[in-house]
Amino acid sequence: MPEPNQPSPKEKNKNIKIVKDATCTFCGCVCDDMELTVDLDEHRITKAKRACVLGRAWFYEHTLEDRPVVLIDGKEATLEEGMDVAAQILVDAKFPITYGLSDCTCEAQRIAVDIMDTINGNIDTTTSVCHGPSGMAFQGVGESTATLGEIRNRADLVIYWGGNPAESHPRHFTRYAVTPKGMYIPNGKKDRTVVLVDVRKTPSTPVADIFVRVKPGKDFEVLWALRALVKGKRISNDIEEQTGVSREMLDDLVYRMKNCQYGILFLGMGLTMTRGRHFNSGAIYSLAADLNEYTHFVAKPVRGHGNVTGADNVVSWQTGYPFGVNFNRGFPRFNPGEFTTSDLLARGETDAAMIIASDPASNFSKKAIEHLAKIPVITMDAKETHTTKLSKVRFAVATYGINTGGTVYRMDDIPISLRPAFDSPFPTDQEILEGIRQRIRKLLTGSKARTAF
Amino acid sequence: MTTLLSLHSQPDVPLEADTISPDAITGLSELGIEHLQVLHGNIKARVGDFFKVTGKGVSDICLEGDLSKVKMIGASMSVGSITVEGNVGMHVGIGMSGGQILVKGDASDWVGPEMTGGRIIVKGNAGHMVGSAFRGQAVGITGGEIFIHGDAKNEIGNSMRRGLIVIGGDAGDFTGVNMRAGTIIVMGKMGIRTGAGMIRGTVACFEDAPMLPSFEYSCKYQPLFLRLYLIRLQKNGFENKIEDRHLNGKYRRFSGDGIELNRGEILLYLR
Repeated sequence: MPEPNQPSPKEKNKNIKIVKDATCTFCGCVCDDMELTVDLDEHRITKAKRACVLGRAWFYEHTLEDRPVVLIDGKEATLEEGMDVAAQILVDAKFPITYGLSDCTCEAQRIAVDIMDTINGNIDTTTSVCHGPSGMAFQGVGESTATLGEIRNRADLVIYWGGNPAESHPRHFTRYAVTPKGMYIPNGKKDRTVVLVDVRKTPSTPVADIFVRVKPGKDFEVLWALRALVKGKRISNDIEEQTGVSREMLDDLVYRMKNCQYGILFLGMGLTMTRGRHFNSGAIYSLAADLNEYTHFVAKPVRGHGNVTGADNVVSWQTGYPFGVNFNRGFPRFNPGEFTTSDLLARGETDAAMIIASDPASNFSKKAIEHLAKIPVITMDAKETHTTKLSKVRFAVATYGINTGGTVYRMDDIPISLRPAFDSPFPTDQEILEGIRQRIRKLLTGSKARTAF
Repeated sequence: MTTLLSLHSQPDVPLEADTISPDAITGLSELGIEHLQVLHGNIKARVGDFFKVTGKGVSDICLEGDLSKVKMIGASMSVGSITVEGNVGMHVGIGMSGGQILVKGDASDWVGPEMTGGRIIVKGNAGHMVGSAFRGQAVGITGGEIFIHGDAKNEIGNSMRRGLIVIGGDAGDFTGVNMRAGTIIVMGKMGIRTGAGMIRGTVACFEDAPMLPSFEYSCKYQPLFLRLYLIRLQKNGFENKIEDRHLNGKYRRFSGDGIELNRGEILLYLR
């Protein structure tokens, strides 16, 4: 009898490799139970068992492109030349910035932080345009938190607020929070109450037992009313008129929240990127904290990119702050709005940028992109993007999780190791950043006096 | 007699000029002032690299030129005055404890963060976070006065504890958020979510404003203290904005934030 996981007879003539327990780095779920079938001759993944629709696209569509490793001003160059020019740009700059980092390994991220620390630059990650407000709220009001494993095994009330996991994180329901059976949730979904709060119906809505429809931009008011009701305070009578949510619905929610065994509030970008931003996230964190007077309640952001949580962790661990960190004075300073990339670029305050695994030129404001086009930009990306097209030095890199190993963090701050599927002719971000770091150190020895206050 | 600093070279990247304050320059010669250190991006520079200095250092400073990329003017000042003829960059009057800063143009974000005394007057508009706490700090300004004649954006007086902030024009969202104490007066319109999480303190506004569900209507009355404040403000440049009806009219009082102590108040002028 053929062993499971062995290639079928048809595939036997091919050079096939099976990678068990591989990790998908597409979204913040970072599912580490993939089983990949890799065609080593064609350098592609032919089967990704257990992957969701997004994961399959991520694995299947990854092939080795025929691109030059380094382009300087659009002309092909060697890796060494590329790293030399990049190092020189960064050393010459008065206000160099690094942005991105959410789609590369923690090993690369830590070198990027060190480079900015060495040249007194500014480091920011894509967190600043997704869950940055949650980071600020976390700092302001604290966080009652848990791992997804704990949630799977214990949570009997699951509330999704301002997110559409069915499309953005397809396995979030089945692997962590809605359908799986857990230690204290023996019957899976039957033992759970799922609440979805959003401004409109989405493909996630059918999963919910209760759907709460909030008027657009009124999440804060609803959260504030819930906080008041949880604390037994009065709220104004026009709450339904203001927010679209009836008093009965709010009372029912409060009853359920106070009387559950273990509740979880998952917050999405519908909260963090709408009017109110960090106060919206702060309100949901505070609500979870308030509820701990009655039962166990936690709040967790549902993070987007594969390793954006790792970026927060690495930058926090090395500088004390999660994103938007400035080293101009030789020590880290944190001020979102002042040191976050989209704001710096829109105000035209930077004179060089290193963009790693991200594409700000496709989603920043027009003013910011115009400034980005004016300054020397160094990019590292596995694919061609709008940002790579306007860069002075562009490095084509191997894809993390598919071609390179390393560590990434799941959205609940759990580090997970990667098992690459096949080798790539391109260097990794880590190797390039290490090369740039060595060159910067050489250039700085005995030259330009840096600040030290 | 004043010390005149006129900008001769526009900085390419933000210039952190925390040495431009009466406390730092008083008693210095022209050359001494030119040699004071400033931070141009990540490079140490001198005041003289950007400013032409006229007159020796006295406690009254006049700054000329577009200073919108110059941050931290008047940092930690305790005496004297600074007059900025044009616009000014972020963090003007950061941590100041005395003296006066007059900005004739617009100011950027973070006007007078964490100040403890003195006065800042901005004739034009101001950015976000006027008189607020820095991220992660529990308390914002603990004294002093900030007068913005134009509009200001979000989070005015975030976590303030004592002090007076006056906005002649419109205010953004979250005015007086997490306020501990003190007074904010807005003469134009306010955005949404005023006073969210406020513990004590007063926010007064001449226009109607949406209230959070955790704020409760108390009464309508003529607050005497507000009349006294407004009479004083009339003498300090706000005479065009404050009419007799504002002095003698009634205000609706909302108390809140119910989630917190409920000792704060929002006063809305009753038309």
